[in-house]
Amino acid sequence: MSSTRLDPAALVRTRRILVCVGTGGVGKTTLAASFALEGARAGRRTAVLTIDPARRLADALGVGALGNEPIEIPRERLAALGVPPAGRLFALMLDMKRTFDDLVTRFADSEESRRRILDNRIYQHVSDALAGSAEYSAMEKVYELSEREDLDLIVVDTPPSQHALDFLDAPRRLVEFLDSRLVQMLLHPAFAAGRFGVRLFQKSTERVLRVIERVSGIAFLEDVSEFLLAFEGMSAGFRERAHRVQERLTGPQAGFVLAASPAAESARHALGLLGRLDAAGVPLAGVVVNRVHLWPARAHPAGPERAGRRGGEAGAPDPEVDPTPIRVPDEGRDDEACRALATLLARSGAGFDAEAAARAALAAGDVYAAWARADAETTAELAARAARAGGFVRRIPELSGDVHDLEGLAHVARWLFAPGSAGGAER
Amino acid sequence: MADSILDRRLVIVTGKGGTGKTTVAATLGLAAAAQGRRVLLAEMGPDEHLPGILVRRPGPPVGYEGRELAPGLHVLRIDPYEALAEYLGLQIGLRGIVRRVLRNPAFRQLMEASPGWRELITLGKVWHVEQLRDERGRERFELIVVDAPATGHGLTFLDVPRVVGSAVRAGPLRRHAGWVEAMVRDPERTLLLPVSLAEELPARETAELVTRLREQIGVAVDRVVVNAVTPPPFPPDVPDLDERLAALPAGATLPGAPAPAVLAACAAHLRARHELNRRWTVEIARTTGLPIVPLPRRPRGVRGPEDLEALAGALLAPPDGCAASAAPPGRGSPREPAT
Repeated sequence: MSSTRLDPAALVRTRRILVCVGTGGVGKTTLAASFALEGARAGRRTAVLTIDPARRLADALGVGALGNEPIEIPRERLAALGVPPAGRLFALMLDMKRTFDDLVTRFADSEESRRRILDNRIYQHVSDALAGSAEYSAMEKVYELSEREDLDLIVVDTPPSQHALDFLDAPRRLVEFLDSRLVQMLLHPAFAAGRFGVRLFQKSTERVLRVIERVSGIAFLEDVSEFLLAFEGMSAGFRERAHRVQERLTGPQAGFVLAASPAAESARHALGLLGRLDAAGVPLAGVVVNRVHLWPARAHPAGPERAGRRGGEAGAPDPEVDPTPIRVPDEGRDDEACRALATLLARSGAGFDAEAAARAALAAGDVYAAWARADAETTAELAARAARAGGFVRRIPELSGDVHDLEGLAHVARWLFAPGSAGGAER
Repeated sequence: MADSILDRRLVIVTGKGGTGKTTVAATLGLAAAAQGRRVLLAEMGPDEHLPGILVRRPGPPVGYEGRELAPGLHVLRIDPYEALAEYLGLQIGLRGIVRRVLRNPAFRQLMEASPGWRELITLGKVWHVEQLRDERGRERFELIVVDAPATGHGLTFLDVPRVVGSAVRAGPLRRHAGWVEAMVRDPERTLLLPVSLAEELPARETAELVTRLREQIGVAVDRVVVNAVTPPPFPPDVPDLDERLAALPAGATLPGAPAPAVLAACAAHLRARHELNRRWTVEIARTTGLPIVPLPRRPRGVRGPEDLEALAGALLAPPDGCAASAAPPGRGSPREPAT
């Protein structure tokens, strides 16, 4: 499998669908936007489907006032970012309800059944803010975009979800649901009643449903049956489509990228997610760990090598894993490094306590080194797992500010796509 | 209104994903138990995360029944299907049948598509636990801390009893939803504790959360926890230390320590993060009108009980008046709007 490993740059040049998965707060949206920008830079006609972008990122992408259809980002802004004339970049934000309604409109067998579905209470809940429908709508939109011949690459930012793989699972669940005995029984009670096994099932199920009705005071069964009846006419179309969507997403044209953060809590979630991706047979293209503290010698790939001694003598540990050992002087303790730095600082100007400043500088180095070490440790397991699964690993350093504009995206892209970038330590 | 977080019966911890809700909930639970209280700590996601940071060897999953992980600290994960089985079992008795039907995949599909019940039944379980008394009439748990879903889901979660109460006219469900709603809206009993980061996106989401809590849901909120704040890196007489370091002769080295150029980069990053954090902390205080409880960023992140113990002091300290006083003078107490 490792022979097919692609780095991020190759990924955006060869695949048709890229899906960014990950738990909330790890920068998934930014990552998806970066991949899309790189796609356009590679001369491909690219669309990025975002779910809930930060206001200023949305503005930067030109989707401040967005619809459910792709909006093209002005060519002149892209040209400034190195996008060639062939490359185009579209952005759209998912409107769950509209996507779902469009789907009903497409597959309903009559105007009457269309109305009956759109007006049904259960449908309104399902298609509104309900867990699961966001995932299904996103899948549906991806499929719709992947059908278009005027797009080469579709980058998808998945909905924040407790079960981050619900996205992939949504069509299968919908099909299973439509095919289920319970649904068939609700649809065709007379038919089901003739079969002993089903009858047994029906009896206890109906009893529980009735109890739920009694307890809840909601005409649950009635709404559900009506919804399903209205749905039946279009279920064949739905089923076929759900099947195709899933095929396309797990096929060779698709790639999944897991976004993670080195915070311990977040890294644990990411590991769990990796396991589930694997179990679901999803081809993992790679892992991107966002907001990592890299030791400064590495954190400035473009700048001069200013780190002085990196790691020391031969065979010394990799500074990314184990930054140059630091000895921070205790308060008031006479220390060689502290004295030397104080002398240098004192020579540079006056009006401040040079020794206190030297101590603070060494302490800052110590704090940063501790962050860098902790990040290296928490991401090591993620990196190892990704490598075993045949995926790439990229580390994006934490920025000093927020990422909310095209320049910020370009920063992320520089780390993501630089050939042999330090962030891509694959080991 | 009570001043300490721990004086409530129920503390619901929520916030945007990645802000450290679980850390804050765990810290509260551990600190209260260490003070000798009987504490219940509940989480709701599909996976268990609390045991892994509460104790060094968490053992098998605590599950729906839960387990005492530290003296006085009971931890459980509320699975909505388990809670539904328990509820229906209590209501109608048919436990065996109920469990069999709830295990049926098709029934699950149906339930997956049904709105609101998950949230309601989960809160119902919390209410149920709050009501528990021992044989002497003492509360089984003096403090219940809930690690609630991330903000988007978290609000739906709290609003469900009200919605159900208004949609259902009669019957046991309406009565029960009413009890749950009364618990959630009682400022003496329940506190919502938002956790944010001092960065743009979490700050905006926190402001929206607090507004909606006040206008729509009516749950008490009296402070905002701002997590992972980078401390000021330099002495006050050299605010530009990183620049001074960078201006030192190129190629300068120090014995046994990183070169000044490396220290300059470290220091510049810390300074920028500190300034960013300070700016958004003030912004959170301004947009919410609430006092701030800042938690320092832990050098190694939060991995185990020792980290939680280290954070407890800051979390339980009185809210930071400085941040709140950033609001224009002459306005009433910043807590007023919360009631």
